[in-house]
Amino acid sequence: MTADFEVIVVGSGPAGVSTAIPLVEGGLRVLMVDGGKGPGVPPPKVDFLSARAGDAEQWKWMVGKDFHALNMRDAVSPKLRAPSQAYVFDGFARDNQIYEEGFRAIGSLARGGLSNAWGCGVAQLSSDELAELPFAASEMRASYARVSQRIGISGRNDDDMADYFGNDKFLQSPIPMDELHTRLLHQYEKRRVKLRAHGFKLGRSRLAALSADVSDRQACNLSGNCLFGCSRGTLYSAMHDLPSLRKHANFTELSGFLVDGLNRDNDGWRVTVKTGGHGERRSFSADKVILAAGTLATTRLVLNALNQRQSLPMLSNPTAAFMLWLPSMLGAKRLPGFGLGQLSFATDLRDGISAFGSTFSTTGILISEFTRHIPMSRRYGVDLSKGLLSSCVVGNLFLPGQLTNARVRIDGGGSLIVSGAYGDSVAPLMDEARKKLRKAYWSIGALLLPSSYTVGIPGGDIHYAGTLPMRDKPALGETSPFGEVKGMDGVYVVDGACLPTLPAKSHTLTIMANADRIGRAIATNLRKNCF
Amino acid sequence: MIKVVITGASGYIGSRLTSLAIERGLDVVMASRQQQAHPRASWLYFDLASREVIDLPADTDVVVHLAANTTASNSLDDDGEVAAAQRLIRAAQQAGAKFIFLSSQTARVDAPTAYGRIKWRIEQEALAVEGWVVRPGQVYGGELRGLYGTLVRAVQKLPLLPAFMPAPFVQPIHVDDLAEGLLRIAERGALNSGVYCLGSSVPISFSSFLAEIAKSRLRCRRSYFPVPVVVINLFVALLGEPWRTRLGLDRLRSLFDLPVMTTAADLDQLGLSLRPLMAGLHPSGDDRRRRLLREGKALAAYVLKGQPSNGMLRRYVRAVECSRDGRELRLPGIFLSYPIVLSLLDKGSWLEATMGEEFFWRMDAATMLAEATPTGAGRFLGSGQRHGSVTSMLSIANALAGEVFWRLVRVFVSPMLRHCLTRAKGGG
Repeated sequence: MTADFEVIVVGSGPAGVSTAIPLVEGGLRVLMVDGGKGPGVPPPKVDFLSARAGDAEQWKWMVGKDFHALNMRDAVSPKLRAPSQAYVFDGFARDNQIYEEGFRAIGSLARGGLSNAWGCGVAQLSSDELAELPFAASEMRASYARVSQRIGISGRNDDDMADYFGNDKFLQSPIPMDELHTRLLHQYEKRRVKLRAHGFKLGRSRLAALSADVSDRQACNLSGNCLFGCSRGTLYSAMHDLPSLRKHANFTELSGFLVDGLNRDNDGWRVTVKTGGHGERRSFSADKVILAAGTLATTRLVLNALNQRQSLPMLSNPTAAFMLWLPSMLGAKRLPGFGLGQLSFATDLRDGISAFGSTFSTTGILISEFTRHIPMSRRYGVDLSKGLLSSCVVGNLFLPGQLTNARVRIDGGGSLIVSGAYGDSVAPLMDEARKKLRKAYWSIGALLLPSSYTVGIPGGDIHYAGTLPMRDKPALGETSPFGEVKGMDGVYVVDGACLPTLPAKSHTLTIMANADRIGRAIATNLRKNCF
Repeated sequence: MIKVVITGASGYIGSRLTSLAIERGLDVVMASRQQQAHPRASWLYFDLASREVIDLPADTDVVVHLAANTTASNSLDDDGEVAAAQRLIRAAQQAGAKFIFLSSQTARVDAPTAYGRIKWRIEQEALAVEGWVVRPGQVYGGELRGLYGTLVRAVQKLPLLPAFMPAPFVQPIHVDDLAEGLLRIAERGALNSGVYCLGSSVPISFSSFLAEIAKSRLRCRRSYFPVPVVVINLFVALLGEPWRTRLGLDRLRSLFDLPVMTTAADLDQLGLSLRPLMAGLHPSGDDRRRRLLREGKALAAYVLKGQPSNGMLRRYVRAVECSRDGRELRLPGIFLSYPIVLSLLDKGSWLEATMGEEFFWRMDAATMLAEATPTGAGRFLGSGQRHGSVTSMLSIANALAGEVFWRLVRVFVSPMLRHCLTRAKGGG
């Protein structure tokens, strides 16, 4: 065996670490390459409301010393404006040569990848959904269980969303809800039979956010700093898995590098890496290469290696955002609380399609995020927000990924062009969802504010998948049930790119479980060959 | 590359002229008594008191003569200073260089001070060889040097300032504007030889000049006491020559005797437009930042319904400098004085086109920066304030009433508003 490493894993996000753990634990010599960007803006030291009231330097984490939030004024989500999360997205498209054409293309070069700035939503695919994957459902179930135990998930409950989210056995209890969500759930429980008959169900969100300490990660203390940076490690980031990997002598980390090219040579595969921009170049050989760079970056590497110029379809969830007002809670005092999803809903729409979403507290989001969109002058918009927002919650909504007509292709210079728009069915479905949500929430005492329901910009979900789908009998550019790229034996795809479906529900846990499954299979396989 | 020899290059005006000339890509030779170590200019020995022949570089294109005897106690006499100028003019002629002489507003054959009379004599020498003469008004701005430095320090120290009666008038010119004027004469090929008077075309009283120094440069208030000029003249006459010179009272006397210069035509010929006094007195040489601060203050006060902190305003200025063009928007004055009136401009379809994307960017910047302060937490979140359904209802009712009111006003004033905004934009 002459290769530098047995396996090279590209990317240190949720997929990268999930696949690396079984490989490293299996004793294989693993190199992990990642962009290596790390946080630069320290999170607030005290809870959000205390920091707001007392910290004269709060602009540093709210707007940023370089005025990041202002420069990102037109970005699709508040998390793209949060200075403490700027590093997560910084330089991804530029350094990876990814270009947008009417479609948002966002990714990460950070250690831990996009999981440094995610909503922490986790869900398992249902039996029906698993049936669409080209392997036995039991393989995924075992991996779901392993990953869930490792990352720590809160929200255990036998509520109406239990089936939707999947097996709750390993979960921690939920993080306490705020008053508004408590009331919503209470009202829902009174009317659940009728609402379920209409295809609407509501329950606690299942989140990779701790309600009890796990090793050195601390439980949520309701500080409300989720958006601006949690200093407790409550929210799972793949970064948290790196220290345990580093304890193994057979694990090597190469941080601050992007993969530039993949070539087959005598020793297996040769991976060329470079520093961001135009810097140092190095190359390493390995028997196997596992791509976990994120759907967009992974797809570009594969299409370039295959020299495939045809465009490929990509899955991406259409999104919407809305605001609910609870009139009975008017004048509620603002209290520190959890900033991510507290309640999640699923609602059936036409043609067997279902929408999924969660609702959040408005505390912890800047009011100026709202005043810009209120059809009033800012001065009075602030007055309105001050009076109204403490009795409001905001929500998001996702539709299944196949409803977006997105495509990716490689241009003459080897760049990846991401383009697309929502399919024709999205507008009527969004309209139907709005009406259903309005009715459902009205019956539990919340008014969906009429002008608040906004359909998001295509690609703004940052859930990209399915460009190199796993198939029983993969064609060129597709992948085997173990993610191995057809035409590139020994190169595996373990991130969103290999998922053949992207339902409305949160998909990160599925990516991680699949990466674990593939990593485990490769580890077993390579060990067998050795002996 | 134009080679320019500048005498008095280390002085108040000379140093600014040197910097500006180097910035413009001119080859500068600093001519002075003491060796000058400048990374981008060379040096030539020149002393007004020396009787030696001046040896200019052969390829000299222009000589700008700024050096003058401003210290009272040295051996150089009046004729000596004129003789030095004559030698310099001869050297310039030999090198085939243009000769530009910086004179004074007081230059006159019968000037009350020796200074004014010497300037006049050198003017005659310069004009005789078809040179150029520049008579500046009251030079100010930049570093606290020269007469300007003396005046600023005096205003700083004295709680009471003299208001001379009858009031003498001065015609201020910023040191950089003067340097620009000298450079234009140096660079311009076809420009008639003669006397160029450079200074504000509208004279202002000396007391207003001091008052503006107090307000714009020092940010303080000063009181004034009347001093009849007759008294000073009498006092000066009684003191006699040596004391007069030692106390610098000659300068004061020339102030009382300043002839009003007609400057508009000369400024026009050089294409020179002088910055406003208020702007020029700012240490940075312009009041761009001050205008941005004023804009940020109005936008933030509009959103906050109260005064923003200084720190917040500084951040606004820096944000506009870092992320935008760093210039103010030229909002009509009424919006700056009465921020609430900005309600007329905030949101509305035709405003998007009239005000442009930039206005709304700045509005959002001011809003976000105002929110990101402890005061903002109170205003935006109600932190530390009463809460309850009644408070909330009042806040909502207040919001709706305000919105409706300003929308109605907007309907009535929109034709005027459009006119006013278009004019303000066109003014740029």
